[in-house]
Amino acid sequence: MAEITAIAHEFIRQEIEEFIERPEERERTINTFAKARPEMQAIAAALIEGENDTVDQLTRQALDAGIEALEVMDYGLIAGMGIVGIKFRQNFIFVPEVLACARAMKAGMAHIEPILSAAGVEPIGTVIMGTVKGDLHDIGKNLCIMMLRGAGFVVHDLGVDTSPDKFIEAVEETKAPLLGMSALLTTTMPNMGKTIEAFIDADLRDEVKIMVGGAPVTQDFADDMGADGYGKDALACVALAKNLLGVAVRS
Amino acid sequence: MPSQTVGPMNSRQRVLAALRREPVDRTPVCNPTSVATVELMDLVDAPFPDANRVPELMARLAATGHTELGFDSIMPVFSIIQESSALGCKIQWEQKDNWPTVKMREPIYQTADDIKIPADFLTHPDTRCVIEAIRILRQQFGNEVAIIGKTMGPWSLGYHCFGVEPFLLLSLDDPGKTKACLDRLKEATIQFGLAQIEAGADALTLPDHATGDLVSGEYYARYLRDLHIEFAQRLAVPIILHICGKTEDRMEFIAQTGMAAFHYDSKNDPVESMRIMRNRTALVGNINNPETLFSKGPEAVGQEVVKNLEAGVQLVGPECAIPLQTAIENLKAIPQTVQDWHREKASQN
Repeated sequence: MAEITAIAHEFIRQEIEEFIERPEERERTINTFAKARPEMQAIAAALIEGENDTVDQLTRQALDAGIEALEVMDYGLIAGMGIVGIKFRQNFIFVPEVLACARAMKAGMAHIEPILSAAGVEPIGTVIMGTVKGDLHDIGKNLCIMMLRGAGFVVHDLGVDTSPDKFIEAVEETKAPLLGMSALLTTTMPNMGKTIEAFIDADLRDEVKIMVGGAPVTQDFADDMGADGYGKDALACVALAKNLLGVAVRS
Repeated sequence: MPSQTVGPMNSRQRVLAALRREPVDRTPVCNPTSVATVELMDLVDAPFPDANRVPELMARLAATGHTELGFDSIMPVFSIIQESSALGCKIQWEQKDNWPTVKMREPIYQTADDIKIPADFLTHPDTRCVIEAIRILRQQFGNEVAIIGKTMGPWSLGYHCFGVEPFLLLSLDDPGKTKACLDRLKEATIQFGLAQIEAGADALTLPDHATGDLVSGEYYARYLRDLHIEFAQRLAVPIILHICGKTEDRMEFIAQTGMAAFHYDSKNDPVESMRIMRNRTALVGNINNPETLFSKGPEAVGQEVVKNLEAGVQLVGPECAIPLQTAIENLKAIPQTVQDWHREKASQN
């Protein structure tokens, strides 16, 4: 395991010291940043601060200096978002701060995505996400999407009020192996089960893993409906997605 | 608090005394938010979405909270969309088995300057419906039952009118502009609240969703505490603040507002919540909706009721608007348990 002193950026060291308590997360984060160049640490620091203009500028500079797009994404943006996710889970920060960090991530990814796409670099996974039929609430789903993108997934966002047919169409069209459904209302939770039934009827259930979440949803409810997994928050959603797809962290 | 020195009270007296944290004959069962269910809609032929738009149906469905379930209060606003509709938000009205919802992906405001309370705000069909329903209920029940109105706070209206994410980002990027938005939106809260008081509301629920799932306790203090003090002063009936989710980290600030009561969520422990409030603000709640009222039976409901009673919570009821498919027997278990508990306590003394 690397020592925290191996991390050049003082702000990153402080963030780890102050906010990351779980030993395995601390070790993983220190190892990642110890391997990251100072330029990547600076990008991560700006992202954690929610400074989208700085992330935009530093990402462009790093790419102009010849640093690989994948390295900028993994050791700058994704590494930074990893700390953001932990702070959010532990209630050190709340949704407004996460939204600002996600905006900064987006500013950086705007430079990186075209390069990765042109080079044919595969994402760590592709996920379809949507809020179920009859439900117009999307902040929870959007937080999951931000964290999934922050972890390197490609996400197709179907938005709100998504019918079972729309979920099926999206899976058929994108061949995504993973689907996430969200509901905030107790009245719309049963539509998760109806969507799963629709996948069974369409003979597609074996083609896709299905995860569910949302304020009123529980593990028991997810099990009863026949979902493959339940995530209680955005960070749990990322861990679940990785688990269901059997992917490891690229870095 | 229940007292042997207090004579028998009717439902209205009981609720109003508890909201003033005065002695009561027994703990009132109160619903600051909706207890409408599909079963009750069928029983009185007042289904959604019409029961959200037609005063007579709204009043008829709301009355079942008292006549069928045995609650001490009647609350006729089943959703959180009435004033947002009057402000100009688009609404998805849904059917009998779902609540109407604001289409927050189609915001009507971008800046504080966009906020204008329409001249017809109180005569718009969706605000007028509530006002008329309260008049009907007051006439029907006289002074027997507490009639509780509902006026949305400016933070919740901000979500509806700006969209949740744009509004939360604005709150981080520009606190000054955010406060300007809240200051303009508060006029809708006050106008609608005053109109319901004039129509006969005994108390008002004021939902303002600065929930612990979205923002910090410090945010509540920064943006909402002073506004809530103003509401408590300008709206001359007991105000029941409603915020979902974990809120223990902001209860101290809430207790400083002068609100009569705080409608609290099952994510908060009754004993700890009572300790924080220190009898400055009454608590209403906090029977869990999805896991207990919706999914379990009367026995489990009763256990949560007792937990609140043992903690000294002043008014007992569901934590939030109950799921529309909740079984009536589970809801009836709330007043039944309250009565049984008090009878048992009385027999011990």
